[in-house]
Amino acid sequence: MIVVMAPAADAPAIEHVIARLTERGFDVHRSTGAERTVLGVVGPTQELDTAELELLPGVEEVVRVSTPYKLVSRAFHPDDTLVRVGHPGNNEVTFGGEEVVVAAGPCSVENEEQIRRSAAAVRAAGARLLRGGAFKPRSSPYSFQGLGEQGLELLRMAADAEGLALVTEVMDPSQIGLVAGYADMLQVGARNMQNYVLLRELGRCGKPVLLKRGLAATIEEWLLAAEHVAAAGNRDVVLCERGIRTFETATRNTMDISAIPVIEKRSHLPVIADPSHGIGIRDKVAAMARAAVAAGADGLLVEVHHDPDKALSDGAQSLFPEQFQALMDQLRIIVPALGRSI
Amino acid sequence: MLVKLLNQRAKWAQEIGVVKKGAGIAIYQPDREAKVVAHVVGSNRGPLEAAAIQRLFERIIDESRRLERTAEPGEAASVAEGSAP
Repeated sequence: MIVVMAPAADAPAIEHVIARLTERGFDVHRSTGAERTVLGVVGPTQELDTAELELLPGVEEVVRVSTPYKLVSRAFHPDDTLVRVGHPGNNEVTFGGEEVVVAAGPCSVENEEQIRRSAAAVRAAGARLLRGGAFKPRSSPYSFQGLGEQGLELLRMAADAEGLALVTEVMDPSQIGLVAGYADMLQVGARNMQNYVLLRELGRCGKPVLLKRGLAATIEEWLLAAEHVAAAGNRDVVLCERGIRTFETATRNTMDISAIPVIEKRSHLPVIADPSHGIGIRDKVAAMARAAVAAGADGLLVEVHHDPDKALSDGAQSLFPEQFQALMDQLRIIVPALGRSI
Repeated sequence: MLVKLLNQRAKWAQEIGVVKKGAGIAIYQPDREAKVVAHVVGSNRGPLEAAAIQRLFERIIDESRRLERTAEPGEAASVAEGSAP
């Protein structure tokens, strides 16, 4: 970390900064220039708050040379991390390897027939995981909130019937034990990305975690959220870009495709994309899915409903099974060109 | 020669670090550092400019400060024995 002092900073101001850093156990390299003094800070600077240092008198700017996250950074672990989900020889899939892994299913579980038909449709098209929510974080408290444990039972039954692994959302630390009893992978929704109590508990849950990007989170904040899970003991984290809030109103969210190659450069964790939430409008979901895979995504999370017009949540962004099949057919042309399989 | 002298200085820094910790004195002494820099700049005859001498000694002082911070009782003595000719 580099602390740039203002040209007007006098000796006591510079000495105060050095004293503060030395007291906290950091080594300081002082370089007195013709106009300004620059201080190099050596030590575990992840622990330092740049904003706090910038408030000290005479400090003009504090620049991080290293990232504030460590365990999830590419520098810490140069090779790609492979995250295995499910049971070997049964429904196991690997994120971060050669295969582009597709998880698909309805936004939420509504009843047995709906989830069975959806699971059969997505498996037939080539999905490897079933997605579906039993606990739904909805913007409105009056919207459908999910079936709870009954929904988890239905999801597990439908996934097993089709040989699929199961990913589903957990909203609160109190639900982790219950959800982990049914699901192969636990999803953290966008609205919970900075719920650090939940992230830390997931660090001890023993199951892979799918961490969605928050609606207004920077890539650095997103990687720091992953760092919370990793620091608590769970390195099996898959990141999922799901669109961010921008000034544009023509789409529900703005799908940040650029995040995919940025993450690939900064982190060894697999990154997948959720084009359904990413754009939020059914007829544009396939375009975003193709773009994400072309940009290097390790997988997709797609909402598919056997009868979207009757869906209790997110019907407008769910694909019809035929549309999902057509998308998978297109991906089977794109993916080999990238030297990967699907 | 220069390396030997720097290590001699480093050994003293370690000893000073132990003494400072024992007496509860702060490792960083800005007044003392300023005096050291003023002294070396004052005795400089060039061609290195005063600013260059200042930057070089700031780095030497940075390393001394680090040694003082990490010094453990007994360490200085063992280093001194190890580096004796």
